[in-house]
Amino acid sequence: MLFFSFFKTLIDHEVTVELKNDIQIRGTLKSVDQYLNIKLDDIQVVEEIKYPHLSSVKNVFIRGSVVRYVHLPAAAVDVPLLEDATRREAAQQAGKGK
Amino acid sequence: MSFQANSSRHDMAAPGFGQSYDPFADLSRSADDIDEALDFEDTYDGLGDTLDETDDAFNDDTFGGDTGGVSHAPVGKDFDFFGQTAKVANAIEEEHQRFSRQQPAPKSTQPSSSQTYNSGYAYQPAPKPARTGYEKYKSEPVSDLQVDASIWGVQPKKATPVAPAQPQPAAPAAPPAGRKMMSLEEVEAAMRAQAKAPAQPQQPQPQLQAPSQPGPEPQAAFPHAHYSHQEPINYQQQQFDNRQPRGFYAPDNQQLPQGAAHGHPIAILQRPSTKSIPSNGPSVPSSLPQQHQPAPMGFPTQILQNPNRMPGEPNRMNLPTHPTHRSQNSFTRQPQAGANQAHLSHLSEQEKASFLEAEARRAKRNHKIHVLSKDNGLMTPQDKSFITRIQLQQLVSATGDPSEHGTDAALAEDFYYQVLSSLRAGQRPNPNQPLNNFAQTYLFQTGTRHGGMRRQGRGPENHMQRMEQQVQRAVEAAKNKPKNKQLVIEGSLGKISFSNAKTPKPLLNIKRTESSTETTRPGSGHRSHPTTGTDKKETLQNIEKVYLTLMKMEDLDRNMPPPPPNGGPDPDFERRAELQQQLQQLNEQLWNELKVHEPIGATSVHPFIAFLSYPKGKKAIGRVFNHLTLEQQTTILTIIVIHLDQLDVVRGAQVQTGEPINLNAATRESIELFIVAVMPSLLHLLSKSELHIVTGVLGLITQNLNVDLVARTRIGVSMLTMILSRAELAKQAGQATEQSWQQWVATFNQFFNALEPTLPNIFPGTVASGEDIYVWQFLAAIGIGASPEEQQRLVLAVKDRVMDTVSLSKTLPPDMAKTRLDNVNLFMRSIGLDVELLNN
Repeated sequence: MLFFSFFKTLIDHEVTVELKNDIQIRGTLKSVDQYLNIKLDDIQVVEEIKYPHLSSVKNVFIRGSVVRYVHLPAAAVDVPLLEDATRREAAQQAGKGK
Repeated sequence: MSFQANSSRHDMAAPGFGQSYDPFADLSRSADDIDEALDFEDTYDGLGDTLDETDDAFNDDTFGGDTGGVSHAPVGKDFDFFGQTAKVANAIEEEHQRFSRQQPAPKSTQPSSSQTYNSGYAYQPAPKPARTGYEKYKSEPVSDLQVDASIWGVQPKKATPVAPAQPQPAAPAAPPAGRKMMSLEEVEAAMRAQAKAPAQPQQPQPQLQAPSQPGPEPQAAFPHAHYSHQEPINYQQQQFDNRQPRGFYAPDNQQLPQGAAHGHPIAILQRPSTKSIPSNGPSVPSSLPQQHQPAPMGFPTQILQNPNRMPGEPNRMNLPTHPTHRSQNSFTRQPQAGANQAHLSHLSEQEKASFLEAEARRAKRNHKIHVLSKDNGLMTPQDKSFITRIQLQQLVSATGDPSEHGTDAALAEDFYYQVLSSLRAGQRPNPNQPLNNFAQTYLFQTGTRHGGMRRQGRGPENHMQRMEQQVQRAVEAAKNKPKNKQLVIEGSLGKISFSNAKTPKPLLNIKRTESSTETTRPGSGHRSHPTTGTDKKETLQNIEKVYLTLMKMEDLDRNMPPPPPNGGPDPDFERRAELQQQLQQLNEQLWNELKVHEPIGATSVHPFIAFLSYPKGKKAIGRVFNHLTLEQQTTILTIIVIHLDQLDVVRGAQVQTGEPINLNAATRESIELFIVAVMPSLLHLLSKSELHIVTGVLGLITQNLNVDLVARTRIGVSMLTMILSRAELAKQAGQATEQSWQQWVATFNQFFNALEPTLPNIFPGTVASGEDIYVWQFLAAIGIGASPEEQQRLVLAVKDRVMDTVSLSKTLPPDMAKTRLDNVNLFMRSIGLDVELLNN
């Protein structure tokens, strides 16, 4: 749940989602679910000339499984907190594993 | 009987019949399509020839011809049983209901048959021919689907009694039919009465029926439901139109005496009716006739009725909550409308128009309600709650326990989001304690959650409460349910793994045994320093342990009940004490994990210094200090100072005046981090420390360390600045006793002597590099505390750098020059000088 938890905090921030087919879409993150499906608003394709068919698309729903990277706004990430959250998650998983 | 009539017609007189209706012939044709004509001839037994087809004597019985010419037209031209039936299904159902209800209650035959005949006429003819076909279609699927008939009211029961009842009494048709017609009057009366006194009129019938039929309750409930929603609107209106001249006045005249005979009960029962339609003159007396039935047992009826209605699903009837709402409207309004229409002639054109408009609107609304409600009652409450439970359980398993939000469980699952949104929502009181204002955040969050739910379910509040209770119950059930992650179906070869968002399906299921942990990594057996205790992996593990302990302590802090209002008794005393004890244990654990008390010099690098050499070790210091006592903090300060030259930020970070700063990026980064993460804690600690501690620290540096090495690093200089300025502040604040001040001065003099040779070399980089502000600060701290003689030596030592900076500043743009000169002035002013003096 860490990634879900993390992406929830990025809602209403601008992110760039790089898909596994190399398309990069920049837009405002509107919603994310536990499968890391992503809803973007006001999108803009990074290499618009290459993908003209997307130039008139305003918002997208991206299935989580086709996402390669999400470029994060660094200012919106609280690194120490994320580290702690990661520790907790790891501790939890270790606890479950036993 | 009916079949005979059919076959006779089929054969001859009306060829149209044979073509349009001969389903059996069709069947045989399709089954045997080689030559149909022959087939027909072969199978035809010739019985038709012997029939007297000219005699229509029984047609009436079969086709409901008792109603006269109207019935013939539909029967003759369109023999579609089912289609017909479907069209009038509602009417049929009503008829059934009425019939079954009426048999034991023949009282209702009082109005003259001619009247009821007329009133029933509008919808009567069609049902009869269709009936046989209808039963077949209708009753079978119903009995198939219904496992528990009782939850559906009496529908199956109702269907079966009618099926035999209709064809058989057909021969002596007239009297029962007449009775049925009578009862239509009663239906109307019931509707009128419902309009006025929603609870009253129909009671007697269910009650009278009670002995003869099992399950009186559902039956009693059913008629209401039936009337309230299954009659098509147009039928109601039609009925109303017929009734208007009669329904109000005729029964009036006839039955008023009877009603009057039962004066007392009527009065009781009628009260609501007079209230609800005070303006409707005719309709008030018209309610009396119905009252004569409940009257004899008025009181028990009422008792009986309420239990019926209360559990009766609000969805179906809407009686308990909104007596004049929804389907009821059709009944409440019609009589009113009738009365008003009677008065329409007295109204002006405008009033008429507005009235009609209102009528139309009402009719439209009623129709809409009717359409919406056509499937009402299809599901029992049990069905609904079952479905709801399923949905809720899925919801719970998918998104987690909604009641857990704001609890530790939610925090464990959703830590980052919960904390970060709490940080963003509220102000951050202390960057080192980000976890303190959780409660507020949780309130906020559960609030929005609730709001969302409320917005969705616009239903009444009690519905929401029920929903919430159901959620709770479902959650509990889900919790109690043993969590099987795998299902092994008997006889199958594999397992089925369940997964949800929280616990993804494990793709690998590796169980690591104790022995395998050792055998799996033979390669890592060669450790560089297995005995020093400072090996990298071990240090990193130590750091992680410290963090885990820290998080536990922070959780405890967060759960600590707020302190009681000043002076008041502490209601949470026990809990607080318990938590304090846990905190104390964790503190000891933390202290052990920090390894501050490891013997100095036993290892090549002290474990705590190794701890500090990692970025996350440095980052931990701020949080560690929050949970340590002052004594423990001082111990840490001492350890750091003793090992100052071994710190990664000091060792190998020396600078040389005049030479370019050649620190690698990693060291620079770690210096920055040390300044940000560690120094504030130390500064904070020093500012709380007594002067003798400060003196002791400076003495440690002077005696144990290579001052030259320390002073030529940024961290070293910063540390020294911190110490010197704290002593000066203590003196100025009057915290220093004479004795301790003397000790301080002695130590300072020693320190200055040790430092003096290094002074010209402590400036980082060249004059132009401009990274020397911390040195000027340091020099200022020295200058303040130094004796005049020491100040002179100080000026001599750094004079070149001062002059160079001043001359450089003349070549720089004004703002940069000003910055440089201000830096120098930090020092100059501390010894009573100013760069302005040098410029002249």
